[in-house]
Amino acid sequence: MAALKPILLVEDNPNDIELTLAALESSQLANEIVICRDGAEALDFIYRRGTHERRRQQDPAVVLLDLKLPKVDGLEVLAKVKGDPDTRGIPVVMLTSSREETDVVRSYNLGVNAFVVKPVAFDEFFAAIREIGVFWALLNEPPPHRGGWPSNA
Amino acid sequence: MNRASDTTQHIDLTACDREPIHIVGSVQPHGFLLALDARTLVVAQASANAPVAASAGAALENAFPELAALARRYLDAGGELDGAQYLRTVTLGSGATRQAYEIAAHRVDDLLVLELEETDDASGEAGFDALNPRLRAFVQRLHTAPSVEDLCQLLAADIRHITGFDRALVYRFDRDWHGTVLAEDGNGVLPSYLDLRFPASDIPAQARELYRRNRLRIIPDAGYAPVPIRPATTPSGKPLDLSQSVLRSVSPVHVEYMRNMGTMASMSVSILVDGALWGLVSCHNGLPKRVPLQARNACDFLTQVFALQLSAKVRGEQAEQRLALSAVQARLLGFMAEEDSFVDGLFNHPNDVLALVNASGAAVVTADRCRLLGSAPPEREVRALYEWLSARGEAEDVFVTEALAEEFPRAQGIADRASGLLAISVSKRYASYILWFRPEVVRTVKWGGNPVKAARPGPEGGPDRLHPRKSFETWKETLKGRSLPWSLPEVEAAKDLRASVLGIVLRRAEELAAMSEELQRSNKELEAFSYSVSHDLRAPFRHIVGYANLLKNRESPNLTEKGRHYVDTIIEAALSAGTLVDNLLTFSQMGRHALNKVSGDLNALVEEVRRRVIRDVAPDRTVRWEVGPLGRVYADPAMLRLVIENLLSNAVKYSRDEAAAVIEVGRLPPHDGEAVFFVRDNGVGFDMAYVDKLFGVFQRLHRVEEFEGTGIGLANVRRIVERHGGRTWAESRLGEGATFYFTLPVREEAN
Repeated sequence: MAALKPILLVEDNPNDIELTLAALESSQLANEIVICRDGAEALDFIYRRGTHERRRQQDPAVVLLDLKLPKVDGLEVLAKVKGDPDTRGIPVVMLTSSREETDVVRSYNLGVNAFVVKPVAFDEFFAAIREIGVFWALLNEPPPHRGGWPSNA
Repeated sequence: MNRASDTTQHIDLTACDREPIHIVGSVQPHGFLLALDARTLVVAQASANAPVAASAGAALENAFPELAALARRYLDAGGELDGAQYLRTVTLGSGATRQAYEIAAHRVDDLLVLELEETDDASGEAGFDALNPRLRAFVQRLHTAPSVEDLCQLLAADIRHITGFDRALVYRFDRDWHGTVLAEDGNGVLPSYLDLRFPASDIPAQARELYRRNRLRIIPDAGYAPVPIRPATTPSGKPLDLSQSVLRSVSPVHVEYMRNMGTMASMSVSILVDGALWGLVSCHNGLPKRVPLQARNACDFLTQVFALQLSAKVRGEQAEQRLALSAVQARLLGFMAEEDSFVDGLFNHPNDVLALVNASGAAVVTADRCRLLGSAPPEREVRALYEWLSARGEAEDVFVTEALAEEFPRAQGIADRASGLLAISVSKRYASYILWFRPEVVRTVKWGGNPVKAARPGPEGGPDRLHPRKSFETWKETLKGRSLPWSLPEVEAAKDLRASVLGIVLRRAEELAAMSEELQRSNKELEAFSYSVSHDLRAPFRHIVGYANLLKNRESPNLTEKGRHYVDTIIEAALSAGTLVDNLLTFSQMGRHALNKVSGDLNALVEEVRRRVIRDVAPDRTVRWEVGPLGRVYADPAMLRLVIENLLSNAVKYSRDEAAAVIEVGRLPPHDGEAVFFVRDNGVGFDMAYVDKLFGVFQRLHRVEEFEGTGIGLANVRRIVERHGGRTWAESRLGEGATFYFTLPVREEAN
């Protein structure tokens, strides 16, 4: 049986990482949670290059993507993933502090699957993360894999 | 006065123009004319009354050697002076045929024209000296004459004194070439013509041109028989041009005109100001009369001195007026520059606006505004005038008339205020005008005979030949619908003002462009600022709340009761700070984002918001909602939702201590083009003393522990409503609930 797909969390702020992990923890998902600290690393993971070259060929169940990131920012990562036919099927959820309308509009134009403004209130935040995790990791049926034959490498 | 447009008159003038008065081919009999080849001095043409020795073909050298010598001297001196030049007095013949002549010479192409005018007085050479003291006295008095009329009076008196005519008139042409007698001096033999007007047809166009070129004409005897010039044509085959001739025979029409006036002798001297015919000195005698050449020359000289003085006086008066007007203009310019709108600059100083062109009323009219000042016609009429002016669509920047109704007949109804109009176009693109008005000045003019009747051909005249009028009885006419004319400096002051206004408008436009650039820049900065607030300021509050909650949930057993209280306080404080940031962002977005107005059902929106708001209502509360018909509105739905949300959640919040809360939403009948909406609760209300603070940012009327909140909600409401062109206000009494009103413009309501 295929292993559970990992959840990719792209976030540079350690506080946010910790809080998000705490929230995901409470949802009791079994998926592995991979953390990338900037956009470049996130792309390396998705495309299995650099430090992630040797990982299993398996798309993440969902990418939780912060908007403001060092090196390559969230919108660029989103554009790359959604602009590539091979990775377009990966669900991407923008998880950000931004309440700017322009960010929302641009994200949807780039093909984001959901845009979530992290609420200030803790309960709402926890609920949101839990729901996102459960929905995308468990309930959502991703499109069939179209990446060709699995590599034997 | 504009009779040139009269059909009868027009025919008359055309016919008159056909009279070839400068090539009549004959001279008056009080002298003879010789046209000589300028090189050989052989006689080419001679008037029939010339001595036989000087007939065509004769050499002047043989006929009159002394004349030939004079002629040579004249030619050698250049002889190019404009007009006939007096050479000297000679006596020809002997015994019974002995006759003294005054000799005048001028050139016509290759010909030298000598005219020998009979004179009684062989000692005429002394004439000029005899007149000298008189001329000097005249010049002296000219300088002290206070007005143009006084100048004219002096001239009339002196010319009559020098020449001895029965009557001397100074006659001035108006813009339509009608003449008015400004001054008169006479001995009572002939009737007075003072103040009378003579129609333009009395001195037709080509006669005026002759008068301009040849300043002095004399007819010693209107009963004369013309003497033909022989042969009829010059060696080059043309009739001799007599425009510079002193003996030239005048038009038979003119001679008849003279006889009708009861005058047998006349002399006229042209008054030229800056090369243009300004008027005439016109002298008449009941009986035939000759005037010696010397006296005529003195008259010409006097008239030229007079013209110089006149010109200086007119210029001086204009310069004085210009100076006065430019002071007014400078003040207006300052006023206009101070105000945001040049129109305000003008309207705050009505006296100067009117003084600028000596008007009694003014208006500034644009496509959507019409402001009146002083004694202006009613707005409806000014609008009509504006439409007419705009529709003319001509390229003129200034429109001037002293008889508006002649061009715009509707103005007859406003003649008492706007017979005179001076209009400047301030902006072609937006069709803006400044208009000045002058009232009607009813004037009575006395014509020397009915000017219209006189222009008709008489029964004894042929189809082409005109008959001068026989009656010179005063014919009165009342001129209506005319204002005092606008002077040149006034028109120029208006033009200058136009240039200034254009300059100011242009500068304003530049300033606005610069300001809008600056605004765009600061708006961008503000955007960047709120963007980073959105990202960076919210996060720490979120973290504080998050960690404090983790602490409370996961480490609770390790905390004392006090510790848990501290954690709760941290959570509350950070939460409210975060909410504040959110609200501030909303507030700044309200101002920055463009309105996206669409028509929609307000009841649907209120219902949607209401469902959301009641989720926060404590389960033990009961709230009765009374939502009336609200209709459709034209607004930005996202922004209007914020308005409703704020008002409804406020109503819920401030009525929470009521056992039976009632929240009412409704719409009042439209008022002053506005749809009025209200949200009413029966909660704690507020003290009307603080009503002004209610809609300000961070203004709160309650303590935080009573009612939570950031104090931005109502500021957002006001901001959104005002951006939609509406208003907000509130009414309340402490403890008796509150009503919040907002309006939206009705005309934008899409049904």
